[in-house]
Amino acid sequence: MNPDWMGGPDQVREADLQRAGAARQYREADLPLTKLWAYYYGIGGDVDELSLEAYLHEALHLPAVQVGLIVMALAELAREMPA
Amino acid sequence: MSAGEEPAHGDGTGRPDTAAALQEAVLDSKDVRAFLEELAALAATRLSAPDNTVHAGVTVLRHKRPQSVASSDATAAALDELQNGIGDGPCLTALKLKRTLLVPDLDTETRWPGYSGIATGEGVHSILAIPLDLDGEADAVLNLYSGRRNGFSSEDVDTVEAFTAQAAGSLRLVLKIAQLNEVRRDLTAAMRSRTVIDMAIGAVMAENRCDRDTAFGILTRASSTRNVKLRDVAASVITSISGESHISTYFDE
Repeated sequence: MNPDWMGGPDQVREADLQRAGAARQYREADLPLTKLWAYYYGIGGDVDELSLEAYLHEALHLPAVQVGLIVMALAELAREMPA
Repeated sequence: MSAGEEPAHGDGTGRPDTAAALQEAVLDSKDVRAFLEELAALAATRLSAPDNTVHAGVTVLRHKRPQSVASSDATAAALDELQNGIGDGPCLTALKLKRTLLVPDLDTETRWPGYSGIATGEGVHSILAIPLDLDGEADAVLNLYSGRRNGFSSEDVDTVEAFTAQAAGSLRLVLKIAQLNEVRRDLTAAMRSRTVIDMAIGAVMAENRCDRDTAFGILTRASSTRNVKLRDVAASVITSISGESHISTYFDE
């Protein structure tokens, strides 16, 4: 089930792919969800921690702006963390 | 509860003074490392006898890599690092299996060919490794080295297992507190960062007569094309308008 703001099948497919990529990045980063959520909230993210978790388990779609911020939070945290 | 001075040797099972000492260690420790130092020192003093010096060290699995974080003395630290360097040894095996491992005589041991030879060369003849059950928060193992064959009696094993379980319980709490502290720090940082970003969003909205999502888009694009953190882009937007370079948030913690 997808919310109507998502648009046609092509957009849904693209969103699915992007979400799968973010989910993989999150698993590989091996960082606590709370840390990621705090960072995401800090750069202006709006959804709560539970929705973020659902998104990262590919169980929920989020608006593009939120997705952009999640991807950015993952990238900026990855750069902050020592490898 | 009052407990007298106990002689420093391993001759009994877990006594209440050990639990008290560990609780105290939690309270006295500024952080986990200090607590583990005290655990190692306590284990070494409890098991050492005049004719049997025991060295104790604690190895913690961090980001899936073993790291020696505490020890009763330099010998223990060196022996721990030796195992971590080779990436194989009784303590790492105990860590993997999550159960106590006793090596009564390292000379007849064949399981860790790379490690045993070097360790016996360093004068180690028996090893006791006891993992700390930390509920998946982290992985840690207490490593005990003796220069004697059969340096650990079955009573010793019981004693150390009992107080290692106590220590693990305390450590779970320490870790929980440390974790909560970190969460609090992260949230404080998030509040600060978000204030700056929200202000910058507002500024961009006013300047471009656009909605919030569009303003966000402008900031995030600037961030990724210049490879500058979003927070820093936002700060520079505010500085360019008002000259202010320090925006602070006040809120009750």
